[in-house]
Amino acid sequence: MAAPVLMASDVSKRFGPVLALRGVDFHVEPGEVHALLGINGAGKSTFIKILSGIIQKDGGRITVAGAEVTFRTPEDAIRAGIATVQQHPELVPDMSGLDNIFLGRESASRGLFSRIDQRGLERRAEALLARFPVALDLWQEVGRMSAVEREAVAILQAIAGEHTRVLILDEPTSTLTEVEREDLFALMGLLKAQGIAIIYITHQLEEVFAIADSFSVFRGGTCVARMTVAEAKAGDVSLANLMLGEAIGDIFPPRAETPPGAAVLEVEDFCLEGDFRGISLTARKGEILGIFGLVGSGCDEFAKAVFGVTPPDRGTLRLHGQPVSLRSPRQALDAGVFLVPGDRRTEGLVLSRPALFNVPLANLGRAAAGRWGLKRRRMQGDARELTGQVALHPPSLTTPASGFSGGNQQKIVLAKGLYSQADVYIFVEPTVGVDIGARAKIYALMRQLSREAAVIVISSDCDEVHGVADRTLALHKGRQIEPAVGTFSRDALLMAGIMGEVTQ
Amino acid sequence: MSGLQDMARQSARGLGFLALVALVGGALALAEPRFLSAASLNGIARHMAANGLAALGLTFVVIVRKFDLSISGVAAFTAMSMGAVIAAGAPLWLAVAAGIAIGAVIGLISGTAISRFGLPDIVTTIAVGSICAGLAFLYTGGRSIFQNFFQVGITDLNDARLLGLGVSLWILLAVYAVAWFVMHRTRTGMAFYATGENQVAAHFSGIATRRYIALAYVMCAICTVLAVLLILAESGNAETNKGANLMMPAYAGVFLGAAILGGTSVLATLGGILLITMLLDGFSLMGVPYYYSDGVISLILLAGVLAFSDTARGYLAGLVAVRALRRARSGGKA
Repeated sequence: MAAPVLMASDVSKRFGPVLALRGVDFHVEPGEVHALLGINGAGKSTFIKILSGIIQKDGGRITVAGAEVTFRTPEDAIRAGIATVQQHPELVPDMSGLDNIFLGRESASRGLFSRIDQRGLERRAEALLARFPVALDLWQEVGRMSAVEREAVAILQAIAGEHTRVLILDEPTSTLTEVEREDLFALMGLLKAQGIAIIYITHQLEEVFAIADSFSVFRGGTCVARMTVAEAKAGDVSLANLMLGEAIGDIFPPRAETPPGAAVLEVEDFCLEGDFRGISLTARKGEILGIFGLVGSGCDEFAKAVFGVTPPDRGTLRLHGQPVSLRSPRQALDAGVFLVPGDRRTEGLVLSRPALFNVPLANLGRAAAGRWGLKRRRMQGDARELTGQVALHPPSLTTPASGFSGGNQQKIVLAKGLYSQADVYIFVEPTVGVDIGARAKIYALMRQLSREAAVIVISSDCDEVHGVADRTLALHKGRQIEPAVGTFSRDALLMAGIMGEVTQ
Repeated sequence: MSGLQDMARQSARGLGFLALVALVGGALALAEPRFLSAASLNGIARHMAANGLAALGLTFVVIVRKFDLSISGVAAFTAMSMGAVIAAGAPLWLAVAAGIAIGAVIGLISGTAISRFGLPDIVTTIAVGSICAGLAFLYTGGRSIFQNFFQVGITDLNDARLLGLGVSLWILLAVYAVAWFVMHRTRTGMAFYATGENQVAAHFSGIATRRYIALAYVMCAICTVLAVLLILAESGNAETNKGANLMMPAYAGVFLGAAILGGTSVLATLGGILLITMLLDGFSLMGVPYYYSDGVISLILLAGVLAFSDTARGYLAGLVAVRALRRARSGGKA
């Protein structure tokens, strides 16, 4: 066993009342591909942010090649040889791959008028390509590249500058097709051959056995297991069990006891060019309908089409049996459809404002007194009651939403939904960045809502969809996939969403 | 932060503002004793009315996080338009109605171009403002309009008094009272703020965000017309340069008020414009040439916003902390 190139011991991090990381021990060795696994909220992202210098640890030690390091900024981490490729790398689409790779380090001198040494750049690019012979036209504009080519540019950009010892890839395959994924794995093989350690974050467990040498599993803010893939294979270890732990089943509420009631929302043959086609489904009162789809499957677009943000090109929508046309969120809200959007920070909340402002926002008609005034006392009472109902913590109506944790921000969006008294609730990625306690609360609220309204849960987290919904279907590349008979098992749902195949 | 802390912070800001008013007033009175004379105070009230109306209009636009640089142009064109209507022998109310209508149309054009067609706000309003400045020469080729001004009674807006205060100040207070109610006590106001602070989330909450942005520009143009009306009443004639000195004080009032009182609001603008008008009038009493006034106001604006910004305060606190740390370290070594 080689000496670890990166080692973390007893690392902890606290966000307000939430202990995001507790005593994490972790290491990677040179030239190994190390998968980092864990469900949302397990602490993976927090840990990666600490390793890449975006946030600072509260306690513990990190050493790189034996020397203790403290990262105050991302530059510190890069200088120490830790390069990170974010989940959605930021590249300049109008510039060539080459220009992107050397952006900001075009020439050795940094004066205002130092000339860009085009020949030198090309020499450096050729040297880089000689080290990592990827089939990639670096002179092409990034905007015209495929997803995997952009990922490759982002990786080359990350490792071009300094002497990189560790490369962190945050869910690089979530937007890639099957074939593209192989190309990425080939590039990772090249990096590995150079002795670079790769920390690889993924939610797709089959990839671990395909590409990784070893893996760590995060759960509840700590690293619960580290083993090599060979050991896992020999011991017939279930990654899913490791990730979910024993108690995890409890976070989902019991399924509906009574059969579902009347159809509330009926979608028929919804099509939106380039995003999804031929989607037909029915949401009933008394049940939770789950839709599983990865990024790029058309899930988010479908939700926004139903909510009137981007109306579909074709298809009919019926509410309580009556055909309706929803061309704007206003019309959708008036018709009784509420969307808990996937990006709560930009789409769900006015972050600079407190719950008192956000909760009534989607139903100002209810808060209004006559044509002009506001029933301020009533509004305050309602906001207090609803934030209590969703167990907002801390229970403050006057703290700006930006001051709450992700889970509690989501609870404010939920209270806003409750205030709007809709008949259909559509949740998109309801628990991204939400800690485990708040997740259980949010799932329980969904169940509670489903008694009075139709609830649709759309998520790229298969376990979430399978865990909370009574009936599930998958979206794959804009196409709806349903079980031939009965309901999807968890694994069948996963396969349907990832591969687009019904395996039953 | 709890509600109580929030209230404490707000009242601290309010007290700070009053102290600042007293400080500025005291300093100006020391430098120029005439500053506290009745004539001077009346002048401040009148100028504050005109400046305050323009600043209020701008407040709507700033709340939806946009800019309007057409204020001077709109003021010039509507001044000449109202002047032309008065000169033609029409009654005052008709002139005012014509001015407001023209202003509303101009505001609607800017607002629609920006909100519906996505044009950049700064470029659009500079263009609209320049067109308006050109149109101001349409009626007389640039000559001053004064016919019928005294007969029509417009100067009463400047001279008449009600309960001991000038009519123009009453107009200011009435318009501000309505604006305060709408912006801080109705769903319309909530929609304005939500649109400015997160347009996407507001849209997803069913708020017609583009309509509110357009409405902000309409309100801004109408308030500009009211402001220039008071200027016409004071001077007794209409000229193409009448609105030239409205824009900078308006921006200074909105941003200084927001910086001191912790956010853009109707009351913050009122406070900001009080300070700015006191300074402007004080300087002119002390004989500071008018061509320096915009520069001085802008300087005060930058200094004020900097002094009250959290980032600048954090930076200063950081500097102090670093110096203290260095001193402690060097002390430790010695």
